[in-house]
Amino acid sequence: MNRFFQRSVGILVVATVLLAIALMILIIASSRDSTMRWDPRRVNLFDGSMTLTFSGAAPGFGILLPALAIAVLLVVVVVVTERLVSLRYRRTPPGVTRRPLAPKPVMERTRGVFAGEVTVTVLIPAHNEEASLPGTLASLDEQLVRPDRVIVVADNCVDGTVRVAREYGADVFETVGNTHKKGGALNQALREVLPALGDNDAVLVMDADTQLGPAFLQQAVQLFTSDRALMAVGGLFQGEEGGGILGQFQRNEYHRYQREIRRREGRVFVLTGTGTVFRSSALRAVAEARGAQIPGRPGDVYDTLALTEDNELTIAIKSLGGLMTSPDECVVTTEIMPSWKMLWAQRLRWQRGALENLGAYGVTPQTFRYWAQQVSIGYGVFALFAYFLLMAVMLLAMDIWVWYPFWIGIGLVFAVERAVTVWQGGWRARLLAILIIPELVYDCFLNLAFLKGVFEISAGQRASWKHVTHEQRAEPLERKVA
Amino acid sequence: MIIPAGILFPETMLQSGWFNVFATFVAINTVIYVILSVSKLFPVIRSLPRRTIRARAESRSIYPGEERRK
Repeated sequence: MNRFFQRSVGILVVATVLLAIALMILIIASSRDSTMRWDPRRVNLFDGSMTLTFSGAAPGFGILLPALAIAVLLVVVVVVTERLVSLRYRRTPPGVTRRPLAPKPVMERTRGVFAGEVTVTVLIPAHNEEASLPGTLASLDEQLVRPDRVIVVADNCVDGTVRVAREYGADVFETVGNTHKKGGALNQALREVLPALGDNDAVLVMDADTQLGPAFLQQAVQLFTSDRALMAVGGLFQGEEGGGILGQFQRNEYHRYQREIRRREGRVFVLTGTGTVFRSSALRAVAEARGAQIPGRPGDVYDTLALTEDNELTIAIKSLGGLMTSPDECVVTTEIMPSWKMLWAQRLRWQRGALENLGAYGVTPQTFRYWAQQVSIGYGVFALFAYFLLMAVMLLAMDIWVWYPFWIGIGLVFAVERAVTVWQGGWRARLLAILIIPELVYDCFLNLAFLKGVFEISAGQRASWKHVTHEQRAEPLERKVA
Repeated sequence: MIIPAGILFPETMLQSGWFNVFATFVAINTVIYVILSVSKLFPVIRSLPRRTIRARAESRSIYPGEERRK
């Protein structure tokens, strides 16, 4: 993909959104049916001792129904397209070399051959993680099905990471001259480890500050055993405890995401870098296809130019036709950002990474869903800001307080929905959700990160990769696993 | 004559055409968003009931002996 397209990815998304908004405004303005008129009515209660002012203003059905129909239509188009694309890729016949990881070619290659039982080699890239590593290694210890080999990939560490890893009994791979952060470190380790691995040998790539649910590897091994066309089993991540309200915002966000993946029956958006098991053949196929069918340098498993290397690898495997899933039992508990500043850095990176990956792959059947997601996020940005602007204008222009049954009704429905979608998070999660406004403010913050990401890409700014430093914790990490 | 006004803007602003359009735009977005969100509370509509999905013609397990299972 050429540089101009890559830089204009953000603008493309925003332009699409603005076009949709302009269309809507045009339709509303030219319609005679809009009835958000200001004509409050007074009602006397309790024999005149109390006066209630309310307004029954609500958008007329003439506008509301077509608008709703269009929205539903768009959702259906996106969902159906995704299903059709995945069906088409799943039915790729054996001869097609463009999609070497599709089920039929894989079955053809592996038919009648027993490549051994499924084994799991764990790779944990670590950069100065002596504080978090013990917790991570302990969670591997507690797996119902233990990994066959654990390798800590120590990348430019100046602390006791290597010592901690050896004390635990894990193998250590120290990177040499790596300037490409996590992606580069994993590439170096994989170059050494992959050649010896067979078709049924899997690689678990996880972060040094995450803990796996105890049934994670058991589920992954079971799935790989029963389906030799399965290329990756991704974890469903949830946020660790702590971090106050900011932490709860993030936990709520992850709960909702988990819920959505469960509703999709494990169909994957992103194979998370915090914990995903890959079939070695998938990683080998990706490395071979780089520079040709997919972006990156031939021989590299991870594209070191990608800000969000896990998102990029997901799109790579999908583009090659590989099957993947995120089952219920594969839970990963991951760090939450302890400060707004760090959250900003993380979300800016995620947003930039997502857009840049789309710029690198272009619009393809497999990336269509991701493009649609970006457009809907972009639309949400403008819609939310418009909502707050409207509230502000009304508050600053109203002489008296007016009750709006319409808004109140919508608000109640929304509050219920918010609480239900974080139900698994417990009472703290539900309480924060039902208040609505705090989470909307959090969403505003994320929206600003989206806009900043778009701006940075368009301006051609170099991305920065901020690393979370972990201080020695006094108490052990509280684990919340399913 | 006293013009009814809020803290910053005159109340007549709330009767203007552009405010009407703006408020309708936000109202529509809100309604659409709430309905789409609520739709996620209900079970997913499946195109095919689970039981009628055909079993695979060939086993995909890693064990060669289990192939050609009907």
